[in-house]
Amino acid sequence: MNATESVKAIKGGEFLIRETAAESVFIPEEWNEEQLMIAETCTNFLAQHVTPNLSRIDEQEAGLMPHLMNEAGELGLLGISVPEEYGGFGKDFKTSMLVAEKLGGGHSFSVAFSAHTGIGTLPILYYGNAAQKEKYIPKLASGEWKGAYCLTEPSSGSDANSGKARAKLSADGKYYLITGQKMWITNAGFADIFTVFAKIDDDENLSAFIVEKGFEGLTLNTEEHKMGIKGSSTRQVFFNDCKVPVENLLSERQNGFKIAVNILNIGRMKLGGGTVGACKEVITSSVGYANEREQFGRPISKYGAIRHKLAQQAILTYASESAVYRASQNMEEATELLLESGVDAAKAKLKGIEQFAIEAAIIKVHASEALDFVVDEGVQIYGGMGYSAEAPMDRAYRDSRINRIFEGTNEINRMLTVDMMLKRAMKGELDLMGPAQKVAGELVSIPDFGGTEEAGLFTKEKKYIANFKKAILMVAGAAVQKLMTQLSKEQEVLMNLADMLIELYVSESLQLRVEKLVNLKGEEACKEQLDIMRVYINDAAEMIAKAGKEALNTFAESDEKRMMLMGLKRFTKTEDINTTQCRRNIAAKLIAENKYCF
Amino acid sequence: MSVIVLVEHTGGIIKKKNFEAVQYASRIAENTGTTVTTLVLGTIAVSEMESLGEYGAQKVLHVADGRLDELHARAYASALFTAAQKENAKIIVTLHDINGRAVAPRVAVKLKAGLVAGALSYPDLENGFVIKKAVFSGKAFAFVNIVSDVKVIMLMANSFPVIKGDGKAVVEKLEVNFSDKDFGVKVKQVNKVTGEVLLSDADLVVSGGRGMKGPENWGLIENLAKELGAATACSRPVSDADWRPHHEHVGQTGGTIRPNLYIAVGISGAIQHLAGVNGSKNIVVINKDPEAPFFKAANYGVVGDAMEILPKLTEAVRKFKQQH
Amino acid sequence: MKILVCISQVPDTSTKIILKDNNTAFNSSGVTFVINPYDEWYALIRALELKESGIATDVHLITVGRADVEPIIRKGLALGGDEAIRIDADSNDPYETANYIAGYARGAGYDLILCGKESIDYNNGTTGAMLAELLDIDYIGFAADIQIEAGSAIVTREIEGGEEVDTVNLPAVISCQKGVAEARIPNMRGIMAARTRPLKVITPSALTPVTAILSYELPPAKAGIKLVSSDNMDELVELLHSEAKVF
Repeated sequence: MNATESVKAIKGGEFLIRETAAESVFIPEEWNEEQLMIAETCTNFLAQHVTPNLSRIDEQEAGLMPHLMNEAGELGLLGISVPEEYGGFGKDFKTSMLVAEKLGGGHSFSVAFSAHTGIGTLPILYYGNAAQKEKYIPKLASGEWKGAYCLTEPSSGSDANSGKARAKLSADGKYYLITGQKMWITNAGFADIFTVFAKIDDDENLSAFIVEKGFEGLTLNTEEHKMGIKGSSTRQVFFNDCKVPVENLLSERQNGFKIAVNILNIGRMKLGGGTVGACKEVITSSVGYANEREQFGRPISKYGAIRHKLAQQAILTYASESAVYRASQNMEEATELLLESGVDAAKAKLKGIEQFAIEAAIIKVHASEALDFVVDEGVQIYGGMGYSAEAPMDRAYRDSRINRIFEGTNEINRMLTVDMMLKRAMKGELDLMGPAQKVAGELVSIPDFGGTEEAGLFTKEKKYIANFKKAILMVAGAAVQKLMTQLSKEQEVLMNLADMLIELYVSESLQLRVEKLVNLKGEEACKEQLDIMRVYINDAAEMIAKAGKEALNTFAESDEKRMMLMGLKRFTKTEDINTTQCRRNIAAKLIAENKYCF
Repeated sequence: MSVIVLVEHTGGIIKKKNFEAVQYASRIAENTGTTVTTLVLGTIAVSEMESLGEYGAQKVLHVADGRLDELHARAYASALFTAAQKENAKIIVTLHDINGRAVAPRVAVKLKAGLVAGALSYPDLENGFVIKKAVFSGKAFAFVNIVSDVKVIMLMANSFPVIKGDGKAVVEKLEVNFSDKDFGVKVKQVNKVTGEVLLSDADLVVSGGRGMKGPENWGLIENLAKELGAATACSRPVSDADWRPHHEHVGQTGGTIRPNLYIAVGISGAIQHLAGVNGSKNIVVINKDPEAPFFKAANYGVVGDAMEILPKLTEAVRKFKQQH
Repeated sequence: MKILVCISQVPDTSTKIILKDNNTAFNSSGVTFVINPYDEWYALIRALELKESGIATDVHLITVGRADVEPIIRKGLALGGDEAIRIDADSNDPYETANYIAGYARGAGYDLILCGKESIDYNNGTTGAMLAELLDIDYIGFAADIQIEAGSAIVTREIEGGEEVDTVNLPAVISCQKGVAEARIPNMRGIMAARTRPLKVITPSALTPVTAILSYELPPAKAGIKLVSSDNMDELVELLHSEAKVF
């Protein structure tokens, strides 16, 4: 089989049952000169315009956030992936991900930015008709108009399709009259355009509408008081027989839920990029502080306890980043294939994204939890100063927390990860049955003690990852068999399975990245990256073992359980390595460079 | 053969840094077995020129052309070139200051001479003609070897102590054939800041950073500077925020200074700032954050609120001056 | 009016200097390189402003360096430069550098040549004046404001203890510092256009440098700080007097 062809054709979720060649993944060490220049523009924009104003932003100084958005618009940052015919720059998904990452350390500004360019712009870009796109997209891409997205309601959050907002056609048939209440609406305070979800009459599914701020019947509540991202405008939006011209129905009637879900898929992946960017900023602050702060006559970065923290911050960040860009590339390739087969651009993009919805959910969970870890340890490294509202960790700590909640809570995303995987298997899109049966067969056969293969730099890790897949197939297969339709109700088991999938996907992405990097730069230049990979996969094995055991103990019984627990042990077995030394090496590099440097 | 030094004056008065350049040149002359000739341009009293002998100059070449009272770099370069040829000089010394930087490079080109800008040491003659200078804005030093026959050295002021000796230089007139081109740049207007100590010349500098909270508190900095006879400076964020004029900004992208005493108030000490001031002989850091990186580069430190410390320090200086 | 802007590649201002090869070279691994801030923020941006206001027609960039400096040239083009020239040579001798640039600029019809007041790596600040001498034109250093009027430049420049306003006939070389212009961030349009703008590479006839850097040295660490209580400023004054001998 031709390696590149097979890789081009890799489908979403297939990582569980297929191997990927290292040369086929995209790694962030491969940015070209133009992309690096775009990244530098983002970095400079943050450093010069956003970072010095964070306090003013958090105080919601009147007009400041829209002004910053306008400045970002003037630089072209709001139209990165908008097609050139609509006033954008037509850059690929990876590049827009790079922008999300580089602006990810901008706290409340990052939230406003990603809401505008994501949920604020994309529904119209992907689902709008020609007239709607011509009318709205150029102004959104330039920042002249700001966008917001109204899905959540006081009584409908995770269960988005249960919203109470209703639309009915006016007597003259020219307007939809929307009535309802939307909550937690990012950018509401200054948005000009709202994508609003409501059910028409007694429809089963939502429809989506483009609503302008000036339409009669739209009013805003006051700003919410939040734990973090205090500078992000968050309000309730009220619709009281709000008059929306019929031509502002987005896509078709009852297509709204699909729109909402697909836009969220993109949002989840982008959130991954943004949080990775935030992680890097926090690590840079943490290393800087650890190098400056002296206790017992030495900088605290000389102490092992602190070095462990710094290394772990970097390990999680680098791992998460590997998954973010691998999935971005896969999505792009899927989109390209669809384009080649004659699907139109917007549809191809949506289908491509839909295909990688599992990976998007995985990334959302992993990256948001990585950031929470990173900020938490950031506070700890800062010690007493970490708890001071005058030091940077205060804001980082509070602002991080929302990432586990919005764009679908991490619990919803975990359930979706497993749910989508199983649905695809059921539909025959993903052949999980065959490989699962093979694993079951392996359980009763004599274990493979290996050793015949020539040992390369990545032989062990590749073997571990192949085994992780077996472990998941075994546990998931058994769960489906045992629990059948009850599985969707056994949420604890779903969480376990999701955790296993997440660790697998991230481990594999990380291993592929480091392998490719070594091929590009040589082993000597990648010592710390190799250490990152070794520690991460070592820890992932333990997490997969733990989650698998917990799941098996929930539903399996007697001999079968014992056999599977033994199998799990075998599939999550790794050789002992000195993770302390690895972390010391990683930390030493961070400390020498005085910044996040991987 | 001799070492030629360009000596500048301000309205007929020669400033200390020029004495340092003359003394520097005379030491080189001693080591190379030759003498020092200084070049003085424009309107100045003979006695003022003769006093250069106190720093080791044997001879003064004086171009008494009134047009040279203001900087005309090309004319200065022509005069220096003429003097160098007349004296068959192999070594030319100027200061590494604004005027020096306009003149010396032109002379170097005329003489096809290698040049070291911002010299911090005497040439090491054992290994060639090797001079130490700051690079990366003071984050490192380079040892530069001049390999050409004629050498141009631009001396960084405040690198050597100035010791007054005896002696009286002989003043000779020098005729230079200037062309119109030499006076191509026309000076329309001069705005001098008066009544303050010049930052570039200052032995003592009091500098404020973001920790000063706002321009309204600068009176505290100015009071201390006044009491000490010091110049005032500031960090980049302060000049960026327009709390202070740009010319006060010291640091990697501002001015580089090497005073005897640098008092940094409310400046955290970012690497870019340190680059501009780490040539200072003595650094006092006043900061309320005991973790401020500047403390690591300081000789003396005071941890506390600048608003309270500055008046106390000013008072202590006043008291000291009364007693001494 | 044609403007030539001299740019040079330098390590980012936050770079920690590490030496290698027995202190004979600067270790550039892991270092971020940028356009020398004075060249970019002031010289280049002023040139672009003059073009935007219709006074200049062309803004060209020139640098001396090997192919690895091209990213900073592209950045200059992304900011708005029309064309770039790279003189393919290694040089840290200002005389050599000035000769390379003069070799290209001579007879090329530039009315104004702008550069930064100095580069933040070698801190010479001499290339501009050398270039002017080589081209037999006027030079003004440390400009804080540049206006163009009827074939001449009106330049406010720093002098000791103040500033001076000069007029100079063009062509001339002017070195720029703070005040001349405000730094900009390249926008997407510029970044995308940069790819299509010409970048000429010129192989110069080799010159013999007149200086050579033999080695480097890092500044010695400070010998420890003396902390004085904030309640005892008399002690600080006494230390400054008797120990530091500053007054």
